[in-house]
Amino acid sequence: MFRYLAKRAATYIFMIFLTTSAGYFLAVSSLKPALLEQEKIPRPTPEQVAASMRLKGLDPDLSPWERYVDWLTAILTRWDWGRSPNGAFINAEFGDRVWISTRLFLASIVLTLIIGVALGVYSAARQYKFQDRVITSYSYLAYIVPAPIAYFLVQLAAIRINESVGQRIFFVTGISTPGMEPGWGQFVDMMAHYAVPTTAITLVGWGSYQIAQRQYLLDNVNADFVRTARAKGLTRNQAISRHALRVSFIPVAQSIAFTIPAIFAGGFFAEKIFAWPGIGSWSIDAIGNQDVNAATATLAYGSMIFALGAILADFATSLVDPRVRVS
Amino acid sequence: MSIETPGSAVLSVRDLGVRFNSENGVVNAVRGVNFDVMPGKTLGIVGESGSGKSVTSMAVMGLLPTTAEITGSVRLNGTELLGLSDKAMCRYRGKDIAMVFQDPLSSLTPVYTVGTQIVEALTIHNPTMSKLAKEARAVELLAMVGIPSPKDRLKAFPHEFSGGMRQRVMIAIAIANNPRVLIADEPTTALDVTIQAQVLEVLQTAQQETGAAVVMITHDLGVVAGIADDIMVMYAGKPVETGTVEDIYYNPRMPYTMGLLGAVPRVDVGEKSSLVPIDGVPPNLLFEPTGCSFAPRCPLVTDACLDGEPALLKSPGSAAHHAACIRSGELGGDADAREIFHAPPVPVSRFDRIPREERKTVLQLTDVRKHFPLLKGALIKRKVGTVKAVDGLSFDIREGECFSIVGESGSGKTTTLLEIMEFHKDQDGEVVIGGISNKQAADAKTKSAMRKELQMVFQDPTGALDPRFTVYEVLAEPLENLGMARPEIRKRIMELMRLVGLQPDHVNRFPNQFSGGQRQRIGIARALAVNPKLVVLDEPVSALDVSVQAGVINLLDKLRAELGLSYLMVAHDLSVVRHISNRVAVMYLGKIVEIGDVDSVFDRPRHPYTRSLLSAIPVPDPQVERNRERIILQGDLPSPLDAPKGCNFASRCPVFAALPEAKQQKCLSTEPPLMPVPASPPGNIADQQFACFFPDGELDSEMVVSHEDPVVRAP
Repeated sequence: MFRYLAKRAATYIFMIFLTTSAGYFLAVSSLKPALLEQEKIPRPTPEQVAASMRLKGLDPDLSPWERYVDWLTAILTRWDWGRSPNGAFINAEFGDRVWISTRLFLASIVLTLIIGVALGVYSAARQYKFQDRVITSYSYLAYIVPAPIAYFLVQLAAIRINESVGQRIFFVTGISTPGMEPGWGQFVDMMAHYAVPTTAITLVGWGSYQIAQRQYLLDNVNADFVRTARAKGLTRNQAISRHALRVSFIPVAQSIAFTIPAIFAGGFFAEKIFAWPGIGSWSIDAIGNQDVNAATATLAYGSMIFALGAILADFATSLVDPRVRVS
Repeated sequence: MSIETPGSAVLSVRDLGVRFNSENGVVNAVRGVNFDVMPGKTLGIVGESGSGKSVTSMAVMGLLPTTAEITGSVRLNGTELLGLSDKAMCRYRGKDIAMVFQDPLSSLTPVYTVGTQIVEALTIHNPTMSKLAKEARAVELLAMVGIPSPKDRLKAFPHEFSGGMRQRVMIAIAIANNPRVLIADEPTTALDVTIQAQVLEVLQTAQQETGAAVVMITHDLGVVAGIADDIMVMYAGKPVETGTVEDIYYNPRMPYTMGLLGAVPRVDVGEKSSLVPIDGVPPNLLFEPTGCSFAPRCPLVTDACLDGEPALLKSPGSAAHHAACIRSGELGGDADAREIFHAPPVPVSRFDRIPREERKTVLQLTDVRKHFPLLKGALIKRKVGTVKAVDGLSFDIREGECFSIVGESGSGKTTTLLEIMEFHKDQDGEVVIGGISNKQAADAKTKSAMRKELQMVFQDPTGALDPRFTVYEVLAEPLENLGMARPEIRKRIMELMRLVGLQPDHVNRFPNQFSGGQRQRIGIARALAVNPKLVVLDEPVSALDVSVQAGVINLLDKLRAELGLSYLMVAHDLSVVRHISNRVAVMYLGKIVEIGDVDSVFDRPRHPYTRSLLSAIPVPDPQVERNRERIILQGDLPSPLDAPKGCNFASRCPVFAALPEAKQQKCLSTEPPLMPVPASPPGNIADQQFACFFPDGELDSEMVVSHEDPVVRAP
């Protein structure tokens, strides 16, 4: 198991290195922060701009290759991912934002999975009945409605609740109220901030799992081995829950692990709408700000999350399917 | 019809009917099925696909979907089972009445160990049994069905077992609670003949151990001949003839039964005669028949046959014999099915009179090899072994002859065909087709010249035809490639349609508008379009029902004679091979172990593997089946990786097992070459070669099984 992990990790580190390097070259040759600098008033001279860029390690006069070598050396020797054109340090900024993104999505990912898979099983057991039709129709609707609109609708609903109660129960934007004393009050404040984004992301997210789980389970309820289980003396429902369920979970387990990075990538809208400044919005802003180092750092983070997802998928599959052995 | 239930019957089915609602209307899948099974006895239910035999068994087990409408009565020891809820039925399912299904590969849950699945069957019906006791019982069961080192195997997952082993596990699960009735639905159809023989042995052992009544469902008249006591023949959802095995096999009273028996080629009969073809297709079950449902296909049909469905009436002779035919009185034991069904005369080819040596060679293989490297590792592959799929194959095919390759799955038959079709100069070994060698096949022109000489007919006629091509387009494609002009193509297609026995005005239909047998005829017509000399047949009839199969085999035989074709056939059904071939090669793990004239090889097999293969094939003759000795090979085809240095077959050989040590060493260290059989009258060279050092060695007694019947029953 450990050897497998080490082997897998080595492969993925190599792949992350490749994508990140390629991303760096793309960024360094297309993003020109110096141009943005020249739009400042009073307009600095080109020499001043170059000097200020050089101070931050973003020397526009060096060739892309030289800058790449400098950048890579800094990471490998000092774990220093460089600076933004505005002078901020990537490492510090990155830490804050990863934490914000993780907090925003972690709870919703867990809820999405549990609700999606549970509803998938429930609706498969009641195929074409009223409950199944309602649940599955909802899932398709959640598929179709663009995520930002759904988030807005949830925000509006939260505001409506606040208004009807006549008191601000939910915060529709922001992470926390500044200046809260640690203790019960802070906890309530945190919950009030978490509730709306978590609900919104979960409501939009579970549809795909519900559809997948329902489909895979239905593929298996008439499988030969379920018939064997019934021939042994299990009722239909017992045979399905003991035999078909676990088999149908194999492809779902794999897709779960792979969608985690997808949720991260799609996080931009949620972060913007709920005003949680995480990685997703940072990666878009970095391009607008001609920020080479931030853009590359978010790309590296994306690759890493994806690699983690792939390893998780292998693990999840080998956990539920004895035919797959990691070695 | 005996409606009264004999007191001793453990399972009594009365007037069982099953109807399904489909998009096209109500399907009458089963109508008026009656049978009784006595403890320790075996009932065989025989019929083609769609005859309702599986639906009958599922109805008895209560496993049909809730949308099925089931009428009649199913009594188990006097208790009515029909109408019980799923939950109430669970008290009987798996305890008093158990079932073995057709496809062992998909019938076990892939994510649980074999032990867990056997123990589950015990737990359901014996909740108080201790864990240790259940485990001990599971080990006992696995040992009973012949799984070596059963204790360790409990922890194995189904995918670690071969098909035959999985079917043994299925049988172990079925007999776990000593059922009174064991239903086996085509238990050996998906298995190789050697494995089929093993599994049938296990089923018989299981029956002896439990004393259960067995209901054996099959389409193969050979499989039930030896083990059944009574037979019920089903057609279009209804029993059309019932009786003891002797009644059915020696004295059939219903034209359909006679046709079925005549449609099966016999592996033990060398005399050449055409098979009995049953024209037409089984009826549509959407409509309640107004007359005999077999009437449209029956050669003896009269107007009276169309007037009301004939009842299952007592036949003259045996007490248990019933047939649903108004003319059954006229059909005695002396009626000849071949005559009734107008079997075509045996076709004679113009090449049959010319000695083999004087005929031209159409295909020659010299030392053809195909080795697959076995790789391991994720990024950097390293070679850990070689799979010798085909290892030094040489044979030739002359004009007008049919050459067949037989062997178990995994023996390299299909790889051989693929190597011939590949026809590339980098291949290991030489393939010469119609005088063109693969070593010169550099340009596309030579290749297309070769393709004109050799065409292929595939196993699955449905998969081999593009569903969006009309028959005309299917047949026109190879002709267009040849650059034939449009009017000529049209003429040729009409000619081809008539040649394969299809109506020429059906050319604008799509493949799904034809039956399986007709689709295979289209496949044959497509192969013949360019006038090839050699047709490669890859299991040409294995996907077809028996009655349809006979027609296609007769057609192949006729075409060979009329057009002077040569065939290279791969088939697992040795009866078919015997019927149609002139020469045969037996393959084992990539090598030919015996080759020669089909009658010499089948009547006087020399190699122990050929002998085992032949003895594993059930013959549709109850007396022969009951009294013959059978070699039951141990285990499965070994992995080609473990092939020993000497003879490949040593690990399973019944002769090897009984040899003294010194001789065994020879088998293990030296590879036996193909040697000609010494001619019996000297000077007359027999066309038969085999690769074995000790063909006359004694057989190991443990591998020889005979079921001698104490009471000799008269036919």
